Amino acid sequence: MKNLSLIIVFLIVLITISCNNNSNVIVVYTSVDQIFSEPILKGFEDETGILVKVVYDTEETKSTGVLNRLIAEKENPQCDLFWSGDPVRTIVLKNKGITLPYQSPVANYIDPVYKDPEYHWTGFSARARVLIYNKTLLEMATAPQSIFDLVKEEFRGKVAIANPLFGTTTFHISALFSVIGDESAKQFLSDLKNNNVVIATSNGDVKKRVMQGEVSCGLTDTDDAYEAMKEGGDVGIIFLDQQGIGSLIMPNTVCLIKDSPHTENAKKMMDYLLSKETEAKLAISCAQMPLHKGVDIPEDIPSLDNIIPMKIDYDKTSQKLEEIQSYLKEWAEN
Amino acid sequence: MGRKLKAHPVFTIVYVSFVFFVVIPVAYTLGTAFFDDNSLSGNIQLLNKGTFILLAKSCIIAFSIAVFSTFFGTILGFLLYKTNVLFRGFFKVSLLIPLFISPYILAVAWKDFFFIFFNNISFISSYIGVILVLTTIFTPLSMLIIGSALSNINAQLEETGFVITNFRRVILKIILPLIKPALISSFVLVFIFSISEFSVPAFFGVKVFTTEIFTQFSAFYNHSLAILQSALLILICVLLLFAERKHIADAPFLSIDSRGTGNKFYNIKNRDLSLIFLFVWFSISVILPFIILFFQSFKDGTSKFIQAFGLLLPTFSNSIGLAFFGALIIVFVGFSAAYLPARKIETKTRKSFDWLLLIVFAIPSTIFGISLIKFYNHPVLDFIYSGYAIILIAYVGKFSFISAKLIGNAIRQIPASLDEAAQIEGIKSFARLQKILMPLIMPTLFVAFIVSFIFCLGELGITIMLYPPGTEIMPIKVFTIMANAPQSLTSSMTLIVFSVTLLIITGFYFMAKPMIKKYRFTND
Repeated sequence: MKNLSLIIVFLIVLITISCNNNSNVIVVYTSVDQIFSEPILKGFEDETGILVKVVYDTEETKSTGVLNRLIAEKENPQCDLFWSGDPVRTIVLKNKGITLPYQSPVANYIDPVYKDPEYHWTGFSARARVLIYNKTLLEMATAPQSIFDLVKEEFRGKVAIANPLFGTTTFHISALFSVIGDESAKQFLSDLKNNNVVIATSNGDVKKRVMQGEVSCGLTDTDDAYEAMKEGGDVGIIFLDQQGIGSLIMPNTVCLIKDSPHTENAKKMMDYLLSKETEAKLAISCAQMPLHKGVDIPEDIPSLDNIIPMKIDYDKTSQKLEEIQSYLKEWAEN
Repeated sequence: MGRKLKAHPVFTIVYVSFVFFVVIPVAYTLGTAFFDDNSLSGNIQLLNKGTFILLAKSCIIAFSIAVFSTFFGTILGFLLYKTNVLFRGFFKVSLLIPLFISPYILAVAWKDFFFIFFNNISFISSYIGVILVLTTIFTPLSMLIIGSALSNINAQLEETGFVITNFRRVILKIILPLIKPALISSFVLVFIFSISEFSVPAFFGVKVFTTEIFTQFSAFYNHSLAILQSALLILICVLLLFAERKHIADAPFLSIDSRGTGNKFYNIKNRDLSLIFLFVWFSISVILPFIILFFQSFKDGTSKFIQAFGLLLPTFSNSIGLAFFGALIIVFVGFSAAYLPARKIETKTRKSFDWLLLIVFAIPSTIFGISLIKFYNHPVLDFIYSGYAIILIAYVGKFSFISAKLIGNAIRQIPASLDEAAQIEGIKSFARLQKILMPLIMPTLFVAFIVSFIFCLGELGITIMLYPPGTEIMPIKVFTIMANAPQSLTSSMTLIVFSVTLLIITGFYFMAKPMIKKYRFTND
């Protein structure tokens, strides 16, 4: 009996501790690299006094760990706000009925193309898909200027792309399908395969292979490319297809989670992330391009005003992605 | 529960707790995945010929790794635990190093090594590369298991053997049969670890069954198919253990194992040759990858190392505390699960406990993590889900099988007659455990604790799914910082994690040494 009483007291203490709901808190899940997202989230905490509890993702799980966790937690959400490095993940959540619409007043001046029509997600600070090339192996003049140049004989076995089943590469390929049509896109991928393209494990792996000179060039994201330059790599960056279909622009996206415990705090955080100040910070830390006009950014960071973007509808491209996943799996694995 | 279980209340409590905290969540998720929305019939047709060919390939790879690891682990275990080879204390600790480090990090180091020194990574980015890297990682585990068994052999049996025959026949006819359970345990454990390993084949671009599961899970978000595919993996592991139990490990000759007169050491003639072998293995498994890690860490000075230390400092107390308590519980569960079977006390429940431990162990980490989320993420269970308890449950579910195997083998080597004699004298069961069994298996309990501690401290796959928001845990921090951080920072973090692990284990060793010595007849 004495032991039973002790167990009951222990359980009551545990439950009391765990039920100590602190309203001055927000739980954020993010697939954005911790090295870049942590300072921003700390900034919010310092500015508002709201305690930010974060779950970050890892490269090893292709940054899909938190997304799968969000899906698994759907019935009893622990997370208030999800900050994604691309639109794909937030659109997956929207399609699974996990997001809560919110029209942030801070985002009024962001181009509607970067927002969900029903405000389930909103974009900010964008990355672009670029070509990174090794300056020792390639000169700017002879480097590919279009994604379609990658299938030329002179680049046989010298180009790397990340596994198209994951991350931003998937989105890049589905954007191509959206823009040039299924038949042409499949022909392009087939030609790319025949040209012995190297399939790397991630964009970071593409960066590394180009820096080490294992391949001459590869497709990656601007943040990886700028990181390579920061690390002292002898590499250059090219925004592809500026005379043609344009470069794919991928905004960060943020969404609220339906039925989450701290929705009001999440709205404050969403407003904070969508602000010009956050965009300025992300431009400095990881070369991301602000979606707002008139944000102060370092000189070496490109502006969206000077880049021809690929004209896509993010929602439709996500749908396309679902359609072509099986084809991409076949392409990548055989 | 039956009369026999009432006679073993601790076993009953541990069994019921394990079923409640670990098995029910898994069964709940599997049941939901299979039977909700007809997903079973929808997905079962996706299990085509290609799936089974891939599974066969994965089995061949895992089999190769298990054979190589057990083979090299036996040689290393014999040299370090049964001979007077030079520097054996140093090698005993240093050869464990690959176990302390995430397979993913070692894969990166190996790939860089091949690129830097051979300017070619095609060799390492292949099935051979996966086998090579995972063999170097899992051989220390085999060495520990087999070494522990070797040092538990009754010296009288060996001495008697030498009276009538030569060294070779003593090895073949006495030592190897006596350590057969350990050899099989080593094979089974390494096989299951290898077939469940995802990060190394994924990094080398080698398609195996776990990468296929991951693709279904993370690219297609088809959780049901991923779980169905995981069930195939579990089935293979269960069949493996079934074969072990039925045909080999429970063979009668093993039950005559006895221990009680200390460990016999051999004075080997070719000490130089043995030393060369140890040094070559040490170079391949430790020095080569570490040259790369050191080179990458300090190529730009010490600033990244200092930064890495600052980043990891807040994670130390959480991670060490969790791993410590996790390892304690795991050893307790492992002992409880191993005691009755090893003592041939047969009940249906004890048999099912073995299988349950194995099944949970064989489940891929991501699926196990999802199972725990789906079960515990309910308002009424928030006190478990939103704290560290969920991580401890995950550790216990994932690693108790290893602990049970290690401890079970040790108990089998203790003659039942010692316990029976004490029983005839009227000594109560707890006193018999405390005064007879525990002292005799103390070194193995320590090894089980250390192995569990290392695994808990480095666990990533489930922890990433479950760690409470806002908390900092060492492997999570390394891997979340890794994305887009400079290589020098990542390598520095790896070196720090390794150093901290080694330091703690050394500390444990010196703390436990007097206790182990007290109960042992040799100072091994």
